[in-house]
Amino acid sequence: MTLPDPALLRSMMLIRAFEASLMARKDHGFQLLSSGQEAVSVGLCAALEPDDQLLCSGRSIGPALARRLDPNRVLAELLGKEAGYCSGRGGRGHMAAPARGFFGAHAVVGGNLTVAAGVALRLQGEGRSSLVACMFGDGACGSGALHETLNIAAIWRLPLLLVCDNNQYSVSTPRAAALAPARLSDLAAPFGIRGMTVDGMDVQAVRDAAQALAATVRAGGGPAFLECLSYGFTAHSTSSRESRPRDEVAAARDRCPIRGYTEVLMRSGVVDRTQVAEMTREIDIVVAAANRFADDAAFPSPADVLLNVG
Amino acid sequence: MSAEPDATTKLFFREAIVRALGEEMRRDEGLVLMGQDIGAFGGPYREFDGLHARFGSGRVRDMPVAEGAMVGVGAGYAAAGGRALVSITYMDFLMLALDPLVNYAAKLRYKTGGQLHAPLVVKTTAGAKGQGVAHSQCIEAWMMGVPGLKVVAPSTPADAYGLLKSALREDGPVLYIDHKRLFPMAGHVPVSESCVPLGVARVERAGGDVTLVGHSWMMVPVLAAADRLETEGISCEVIDLRTLAPLDTAALCASAGRTGALVTVEEGQLTCGVGAEIAFRVHEAVPGIRAARVGAAPAPVSSNPVLEAAVVPDADRIVAAVCRLLRGKP
Repeated sequence: MTLPDPALLRSMMLIRAFEASLMARKDHGFQLLSSGQEAVSVGLCAALEPDDQLLCSGRSIGPALARRLDPNRVLAELLGKEAGYCSGRGGRGHMAAPARGFFGAHAVVGGNLTVAAGVALRLQGEGRSSLVACMFGDGACGSGALHETLNIAAIWRLPLLLVCDNNQYSVSTPRAAALAPARLSDLAAPFGIRGMTVDGMDVQAVRDAAQALAATVRAGGGPAFLECLSYGFTAHSTSSRESRPRDEVAAARDRCPIRGYTEVLMRSGVVDRTQVAEMTREIDIVVAAANRFADDAAFPSPADVLLNVG
Repeated sequence: MSAEPDATTKLFFREAIVRALGEEMRRDEGLVLMGQDIGAFGGPYREFDGLHARFGSGRVRDMPVAEGAMVGVGAGYAAAGGRALVSITYMDFLMLALDPLVNYAAKLRYKTGGQLHAPLVVKTTAGAKGQGVAHSQCIEAWMMGVPGLKVVAPSTPADAYGLLKSALREDGPVLYIDHKRLFPMAGHVPVSESCVPLGVARVERAGGDVTLVGHSWMMVPVLAAADRLETEGISCEVIDLRTLAPLDTAALCASAGRTGALVTVEEGQLTCGVGAEIAFRVHEAVPGIRAARVGAAPAPVSSNPVLEAAVVPDADRIVAAVCRLLRGKP
């Protein structure tokens, strides 16, 4: 067990405030939010080193900010501005900043799993102790790509940490109706891959598990599988209808990872109410600056539509 | 002693591939080969013969039967600073791997604003040779419309050697297609190391009455048809596309502009096929061009030899198409 860390709280608060400000914009576009699921990205990224690479699904805002990408450039990318990390070409679904350890999102469910194994093969060949972490939703656990990736990663003992952000739904389909295993981390067992399931609403539990598994991966123990039981506070995407039972959503909001961790930090005397308020103010400034930055940034020129195609 | 600049040596098609792979493996230490049965076994057509012994199991990797993962792992490895060639035994199985190839590798440079790119060659084998409806297809036309993806399909050992080497020096993904019937073919290959540039068609023989265009194994019946037409007084200019994407439109238009008539030949389906694309591009540049297409019958390719032959184009059908086009009679 490691000590409570206010940096984890700040990172989760940033994601929440950033997404709230994005949703307040009329031009927010098609987004998949991480609000409610912040603890998974933040807990995982606390276990990553600068030289590691993180890949994720199209639910990329939480992972990108948790990986300490510049909020200005993240928002610019989400809004399609040239100042974004991918010059506005990737958007949420394909956000990437490999130089900052964020190899990137891929919006095809399960599509990034095999790619992550390939990145891990490259790191393994370079003989470094770096690892590749790949986040995916529970929906990806129904894909053949996961089975194929587990098999190859196990055979080749790849430095790959697979992290399932299990928010209980594939759009509208409840996890129980779509996936047979009792725990999704059980999927790793037949391949001899170490698996764990933790409370994904508890950032410290995610961080501790991610650190423990990352240590075995770095030590050459081969891949590991971490399932984080989470819940999104909003519907699958900004364009999908809310189909989940109202009381279920309300119950999840009662387990808000930010409120829960604030209480943990205050109870243990790491922060007080004033410091939390100060943190909130500082984040509001960062988020406001990101919005100004993105507003001031230009869209790409239509004349550049063929840039970087081939 | 170095060889004469134009000196050639005779190699089987599969040997030309082994040579290209070996030279590029030596040249680029980041290059890894992945596929089913390409290790000590040497490849389904022995086109990886000896490479495992020379470069070891770290760089010549046998993979499980998981085409999606094979191309995905290759793409990820390439994107992370390496270079990969992934062998998909039959082109029919490429369908299982289209997501990482089309959705990831082909779009990677664009979608990341140039931060990442995937130097990946997917090498596969197309065409009819008695193996049935799911082991015989030529679906290269599907791939020609994917922005960011190049497609090559040689018909000779020299082009297999030179195009594969060029493909292995590209920054982005290339689909490299062999044909099952080409592997036992022998041909002259340059003695000195050389590449064949992508995107450049070759005029296989000059002629004045009609332009015949083909690629891969179809060059064999195309050339046989040209021989027969010659005896009937019809002079054919024969073009081997070699690269399907990007198409060498300029070479096609120049030839068709001279002859005034164009016949395209492909082993795959005609609907939205290679010939349809070529005919329209030439039509745009050469108004009034007379054009005809020869391709597979609109049916699956059976392992039944009678039905396979009934589907796949041959020299007879090419001759008939040319005669119909030029003389208006069957």
